Amino acid sequence: MPPRLNIAGVGRSIAIRMRPQALVHQSKVIHATSRRCYADDKKPSSGIDPDFVGIGHVSEEAAEISESTGEMAPDMSQGTPVQEILKRDGDMDQAPEVIKKEEASEKSASNNENTTFAHLLAMGQMRNIAAGGHGADEVQLEGLIYELPELPIASDLNLKHRYDPVIEQVTNLIMQHGKKSVAQRNMAYILNHLRTAPPPTPSAARPLLPGASPASELPLDPVAYLTLAIDSVAPLIRIRAQKGAAGGGAALQIPIPLGVRQRRRTAVQWIIDTISKRKARGSGRGLFAQRFAEELVAIVEGRSGAWDRRTLIHKTGTSARANLNFRGFARKF
Amino acid sequence: MASPACWKCLSRPSPLQMTSQIQLRSATAAFSTTTPVFNVVKKKTAAGKLIQSKAGQAKTLRLKKKAPVKMGKPPAPGERKAMRKRVVLSNTNALAVPGMQDLKKDIVGNLGKEFVGRVLGIEGKTVDALRAAEAFKPHQSWCFFRRPGILIREETIVLGEKIIDAEKEGGLKLVLDGDRVTGKSLMLVSALAMAHVRGWIVLNVPEAQELTNAVTDYAAIEGSKLYSQNTYTASWLTAIAKTNAAILDKLKLTQEHPEVPIPLPADITLTRLCELGARDPEISWPILQALWKEMTANGRPPIIMALDGLQYISQDSLYRTPDFKPIHSHDLAIVDHFLAYLSGEKTFPNGGAAIAATSRSHAPTSKSMELAIRKSQERQFGGRVIERDTWGRERYDDIRAIEAFRNDENLRSIEVFAERDPWEKNYDARSDRALAKIETMKLAGLSRIEARGLMEYWAQSGLLRKQVDEKIVTEKWTLAGNGVVGEIERGALHMRI
Repeated sequence: MPPRLNIAGVGRSIAIRMRPQALVHQSKVIHATSRRCYADDKKPSSGIDPDFVGIGHVSEEAAEISESTGEMAPDMSQGTPVQEILKRDGDMDQAPEVIKKEEASEKSASNNENTTFAHLLAMGQMRNIAAGGHGADEVQLEGLIYELPELPIASDLNLKHRYDPVIEQVTNLIMQHGKKSVAQRNMAYILNHLRTAPPPTPSAARPLLPGASPASELPLDPVAYLTLAIDSVAPLIRIRAQKGAAGGGAALQIPIPLGVRQRRRTAVQWIIDTISKRKARGSGRGLFAQRFAEELVAIVEGRSGAWDRRTLIHKTGTSARANLNFRGFARKF
Repeated sequence: MASPACWKCLSRPSPLQMTSQIQLRSATAAFSTTTPVFNVVKKKTAAGKLIQSKAGQAKTLRLKKKAPVKMGKPPAPGERKAMRKRVVLSNTNALAVPGMQDLKKDIVGNLGKEFVGRVLGIEGKTVDALRAAEAFKPHQSWCFFRRPGILIREETIVLGEKIIDAEKEGGLKLVLDGDRVTGKSLMLVSALAMAHVRGWIVLNVPEAQELTNAVTDYAAIEGSKLYSQNTYTASWLTAIAKTNAAILDKLKLTQEHPEVPIPLPADITLTRLCELGARDPEISWPILQALWKEMTANGRPPIIMALDGLQYISQDSLYRTPDFKPIHSHDLAIVDHFLAYLSGEKTFPNGGAAIAATSRSHAPTSKSMELAIRKSQERQFGGRVIERDTWGRERYDDIRAIEAFRNDENLRSIEVFAERDPWEKNYDARSDRALAKIETMKLAGLSRIEARGLMEYWAQSGLLRKQVDEKIVTEKWTLAGNGVVGEIERGALHMRI
């Protein structure tokens, strides 16, 4: 019988080979950039948890802030001056006399270098007062070719936003085939119709937005008239039908709040739906606009069918408000 | 699907067996008078149907047309046109402008420089008269204001003086010209209003194109090469009677009228004469001639005749002779009548004015008219101003620039007179002759003072919701091509509210 001790097997029990598990583990190391997800920063992280990193010293903090705001950053190659640390901690009264003096001289110097328009204006006003005039007198500024515009600049002075936002949105909504100038002509017609039509008589059953000017004053402010009509009839919510969520294949109705532009858009769509079903009484190119304007008057007077649509949506939304908690189907894996 | 074979006996169906079954079935329904084939209820096909039209021919697809959805009652005949032509002269929403003066008889004679830039209201009587004369047009934005008013421009004052001067024998002949929306038609309205308040008889052709573009009937006048437009003349007589009712009611027939084919009762008023002509289009042209004879008789008031769209009557009309040659516009009786006074061939014995305005938006080009206007301008002011804008186009060819030119020796040395283009074929010889002696008034943009006055009127009416100061006036004036009045209106009243 041969001995059970096998010399060849000895080597197997001595741990001189590399552990295969360790090898496998090393091969799993992947470069950080290849694991970057869409929402991650572009720079690879330093590997340190950002929550555990403290705020840098004053200059570093300032540098970080200025990087995010886009301002001039302090020179990081130099150290942080003591003055800044003292200023941050509010310990300036304990600072040495030299630093205190330097601080005072800096303050007076910075006042002279301030050259914003507001400062120039204020200085000019001061000069006016010193000369015996009033602060509100016209300020003479040197070095300007044209005089300063009146501040703040009016919102409709911008070339790209020269019309009222409601006018702009409704014009775009009544545009067909990309013909904006036709839509603008229609818009002008609508506003002119509102100006010349007799003042509306609002109905008590369909209250308009509170705070609007009285009906007799509306025609002379056609933009406010249009805005009032559209905003009053605009729904606050829309109903989303979630398929199959109510069980048994039935749709679950979920009320979704609308933003102000979405609300106005819905109202204008309702108006367009209504008038496209109505027959024109005349001929010519202003007829769409005329029907649109008449529908606006009908809304303010509470005659329009758009009110029923609004009521229906709000009623559905109220009854379906229990479904607001619906957060979508759970994932099945 | 069931097999046609019998599954119990496994025997194959023979053609003999099948025919016997069919025969059996048809035999059971023998007592019905209709064949079972016709008794089948046909299914309605929504999409379309392939129909074998005739033996041997291809099948054709017949689609069923959807009936159009009926929406409400269709507009009555004429309703659409009435809506298109509707002129609204009042807006009760607009505020009444405090201290607005009316255009009155004595004001027309004394329009001074202090009136420049003011808006004068038109009195109710005059408004009614001008409405009957169709002097107001739908696109002129009368519908925005509480009541119609006219802006007094520097040119209005000149025109007022001319009208006062024309109350003597001879009268005025004038062509109003200017770029698009510079206020030519409005100046015509001003002229008619001033003439009406001065007690003139007003005749107005609101659109010259209605005379020449063959939309109304025409007939050759016997013993003349002219053509009368009887229906138009009849309706024109109605308008004349309505416009001048206050004057014509007091005037009676004084002369014999052998040209009128019906016996005229003696001692009828001129309004009645107009009504006779309006009632019967066949005799409307002789009646109009008789009316004219009466109106120009001794001691009668001055007459103003106005026409809008001079280009339309400076070329061939769309009417045809029996041998299908085009009829020249000057061969139409009404046009001929008007042009006789505009060209100076005839004069108003009791004073009066023939005023025509050009149309610059949609009218045909008339080379002869353009040349006649240029020559007239040069005649009036002794030369032409050559001043060019950024793009090298001629500019400031208006009264103010020409005034400047007259006062400036340096400018006068570069005068160039308009000449006939030898290569141009489209001159019209008859228009050349007719317009050879016209006097013109060229309209351009408003001055700043006028623009400011107009915008203040809008603001006082509650239509311009902005403070009217130097800045906004300058802005609108500049953006409107140096004060072109229609563009100022577009920028201030229509686009930005």
